[in-house]
Amino acid sequence: MSHQTPRESSLSRHLRRFQGGIGLVAVFLLACLFGRSHRGDLVFIRPDNLTDILRDASEKGILAVGMTFVILTAGIDLSVGRILALACMLTGHFLMVWQWPALAVIALVLGAGLAMGFLNGLIVTRGRLQPFVVTLATMLVFYGLAKLVTGGPVIGMSAAPAGFQVLAGELFAGVRVPIVVFLGSVVAGELVLRGTVFGRFVYAVGGNEVAARFAGVPVSSVKAWVYAISGLLSALAGVLHCAQYKQADPNVGAGYELDAIAAVVIGGTNLMGGRGSVLGTMAGVLIVGIIDNILQINGIDPNLQKVIKGAIILGAALLQRRKGQS
Amino acid sequence: MRMVRASSSVFCVSVTAACLLAACGDGGGKKARFLIGFSQCNLAEPWRQAMNDDALREAANYKDLIEVEFQDANNDDATQVSQLRTFIRKGVDLIIVSPRTKQPCVEPVKEAIVRGIPVIVLDRDLETEAYTCFIGAPNYDIGKAAGNYIVEVLGGRGKVLEIQGLLASVPAEERRNGFRDAIRDHPGIEVIDAPEGRWLREEGQKKMEVALQAHEEIDLVYAHNDPMAIGAYLAAEAKGRDDDILFVGIDGLPGEDDGPKAVLDGHLSATFLYPTCGKEAIATAVKILKGEPAPKKIALETALITKENAALYYRPKAR
Repeated sequence: MSHQTPRESSLSRHLRRFQGGIGLVAVFLLACLFGRSHRGDLVFIRPDNLTDILRDASEKGILAVGMTFVILTAGIDLSVGRILALACMLTGHFLMVWQWPALAVIALVLGAGLAMGFLNGLIVTRGRLQPFVVTLATMLVFYGLAKLVTGGPVIGMSAAPAGFQVLAGELFAGVRVPIVVFLGSVVAGELVLRGTVFGRFVYAVGGNEVAARFAGVPVSSVKAWVYAISGLLSALAGVLHCAQYKQADPNVGAGYELDAIAAVVIGGTNLMGGRGSVLGTMAGVLIVGIIDNILQINGIDPNLQKVIKGAIILGAALLQRRKGQS
Repeated sequence: MRMVRASSSVFCVSVTAACLLAACGDGGGKKARFLIGFSQCNLAEPWRQAMNDDALREAANYKDLIEVEFQDANNDDATQVSQLRTFIRKGVDLIIVSPRTKQPCVEPVKEAIVRGIPVIVLDRDLETEAYTCFIGAPNYDIGKAAGNYIVEVLGGRGKVLEIQGLLASVPAEERRNGFRDAIRDHPGIEVIDAPEGRWLREEGQKKMEVALQAHEEIDLVYAHNDPMAIGAYLAAEAKGRDDDILFVGIDGLPGEDDGPKAVLDGHLSATFLYPTCGKEAIATAVKILKGEPAPKKIALETALITKENAALYYRPKAR
């Protein structure tokens, strides 16, 4: 907000603020226009396909909400995919091997995720290190720990107690628990950012850290907490992953951090910090989800799919660059 | 001004995306009667690329009947599950899946079957029997065949270095167990060490360098795949010890850097074919689509590849 030029018209400001939303509408319309049909119906717009998109996007969406907090403070969290994996392995081990009750396992694993994220934050602030380096290192540590739980093999969870399997269950009309959790984390994230003092601090730290410090913002603790939030949400995504795919696999989550970062960027949050929103990130997550879906519906060559996705992320980053100039 | 720029860039991105979609979307031209969706768990592995190539070659024989659409799950279960669901939504006539792990694909496979879409599972079995057909080559049997060959070629006596694939992975375990069972009754065969080579040529080379330091006498190297066997050969060659040691691998892929070529060059003494199932998958799919009966399980057999027949398996231009 601090970088806005006074000359800018209010219309253009709104247009940029809702970049993610506009992109989402554009991609949605294009998907309708170019999607293939099957027996006369457009496959893309079928309700079961739309809920599939949401369901497939939900786990990475939850990671991306946490990532938005971190990026708003001009940080980065590369460890999210591996926290997800470690959370999966802990869930599998506590639930299937030690047979602990589902609710206790979930609470414990979420607590562990919070602690892992907080550890990231503490090392960043106390150690005065680049978040990139810190989370690159902890990414490796969490991956190793995830592998150590079983020494390599996956833990099958198809026999998990019903109380746990509810987490992948259908609520109504194809809407499943992970979708609701994703949308809930978006609403909660947006409320925290817009409606609380902590939220304002997050923007202040990312906008201008020195000024924030002079203004009395507790910069270090704000930073530590955004990583903790990211860790908590990563563990939440991990618990849902176990429930959805019915196994705990230590190798899961490779590259998820990059998908989360891409969604945040496409959603219009500035990698330099201080500008952006969780709603934008939600739009970014859905844009990526729709593009993935429509490329598959149209049967595009998988190698070409990667090229197209890369080009779209670049396009969004170019928009970022324009926004940064003032 | 800024508004114009911002909106024009949104427009540009959208138009580019649209053009790409339009360009590739309906490029298929004339339509085949049946559409097959093929989800491969990880195209970064050469063996899986060979599986797709075999399937594509076989599908070319049925151009008017089937069209095959390949997807790459990038070694991610969530992506693979999503691909299977999309196949169902778009109404493909048959699904072929080479699953990454045995649990996550169970739910979409069951859903496909409920909706009347036949499913062929390749290579790794699922934790359900709900599919239409499973095609695979038992790794245990291949390990056993390799063990029997090794007993024979060493005359029942010798020191063997076993270079293992990724530990705790199912194929590595089965290729080890089959081999160990085959040599059990031949006390003259001694396994001097069994390091982990993680399926990689570089690792095979490194582990062999260490073994060459540690052991004066090595008669034969049995590696769980060809790349590791070739890596081990390179390490021995660098030390001038390649003439005293025999090298045996598994996989038998057709390419320039693969086993049969190394056998032809005299670097490996043998390799064992691990058939890709790609060709059989398409042949079985055609049967199912034509309404002909297909067996529930098809076990493909290995083949011993030595200097006599290696030329049949070396197809450098096929890749």
